[in-house]
Amino acid sequence: MYTEIYGIALRSLLISSTATLLALVWSIPFTAKLISIRHRSKDIIIGIFNTLIGLPTVLVGLVLYLLFSYSGPLGFLELLYTPYTIIIGESILITPLVISLLYEVFSRAYNEYWELALTLGADKLQAYKLIIREVISDIFVVSLISFSRAIGELGVALIVGGNIKGYTRVFTTAIALEIEKGEFETAIILGLLLFIVVLSVILTARIIKRRV
Amino acid sequence: MIVLRNIWFSYVDENYVLKNINIEFSRGITVVLGPNGSGKTTLLKIASCLYKPIRGEVLIDDINYWNLNEEEKIRFRRKIVYVHEKPILLRGSVLDNIIYGLIIRGYSRDEAIKKAHKISKELNITSILSRRTETLSIGERRLVTLARALVLDTDYLLLDDPIAHLHPSTRELVVDIVRSMKDEKVIAIATHDPLSTLKIASKVIILDSGRIVNISEPRNIIDKYILEY
Repeated sequence: MYTEIYGIALRSLLISSTATLLALVWSIPFTAKLISIRHRSKDIIIGIFNTLIGLPTVLVGLVLYLLFSYSGPLGFLELLYTPYTIIIGESILITPLVISLLYEVFSRAYNEYWELALTLGADKLQAYKLIIREVISDIFVVSLISFSRAIGELGVALIVGGNIKGYTRVFTTAIALEIEKGEFETAIILGLLLFIVVLSVILTARIIKRRV
Repeated sequence: MIVLRNIWFSYVDENYVLKNINIEFSRGITVVLGPNGSGKTTLLKIASCLYKPIRGEVLIDDINYWNLNEEEKIRFRRKIVYVHEKPILLRGSVLDNIIYGLIIRGYSRDEAIKKAHKISKELNITSILSRRTETLSIGERRLVTLARALVLDTDYLLLDDPIAHLHPSTRELVVDIVRSMKDEKVIAIATHDPLSTLKIASKVIILDSGRIVNISEPRNIIDKYILEY
């Protein structure tokens, strides 16, 4: 039992951290571009992302299922019921959260450091580098918060992952299955482990936030 | 020389904060006075090419800055340094802050540190060079932002309220340093505190509600201004 739990924990960590990294890869340049826009449309765009934070996970799972199912437009990729679809799903799910949090961080940094860098003679690339350097610890905090949202979601992992033992089974899907089977002891152990992971991540984020 | 010609400026969806401004910043010290919200900071930011005017021209050495390509813009912008009213510092040590502008201009770290030490000595801040910026007082922060600007030795120096929050003796030191550069550089100072700066000014501009209400020599303005404000 413990070998399986160990496998589930490791897989969950791997899938959710990859999803978080993926979300950061597109969210960082997008948000950096968004804050440089001096137009009212910026507020509308960020408003949409703020709203999408509450997107139901099952809805994301359903859309991805329709896309990746064998008769769907991306069915030829044969990604359904693989860890890759869970990664894609979780990264899409947390993107609004990542962008909303980064927007706050970047806006503050942009207002302070962009002008400063330019007046000290930086070109645009040097100015962006300076902003990233100044906000790197904040970006780390954003990624930890987003990771905890990804690892705790159930809808996407269940619908597009399929909860396949030893392959796509993660914390949340395993807990759901164990409860269904009446194996409450295993469910509680998994639940506690998930709680410890999320709590450690949140505490780390708080410590980093306080120190910088 | 920086020439602002028929400048109009507004922030997004707001009323004009600068209205038909025509000024020349020439060698010497130009002091810009005016009440809060009169447009002093915006004026300096336009002159330092940080903000693009809605209408009008910004001429640096007779070249229209906003018609230049990106590469030329950087070359021109490196002739100007603007010091913000709020002393914004980067993470890291005071020394890291002072050398930043030199490093991005291609100076080696050793050369940059040498220059930083020289300017720190002038501003009396050598003892805090290794300190992290978050531990500095507001007055120390202001001195570091000044050192970071002065070390660049640019042709144009635009200072937004540079002596606010400084101890009177430090205020005198800063005023003396700025005065010592008045024959070589084009300096503009926006300030709420005319007493310390008018005595070193070559020219005084008074702004009110985004318009220039007076441009004069300091001796013609000093009594009137002090009485009014």
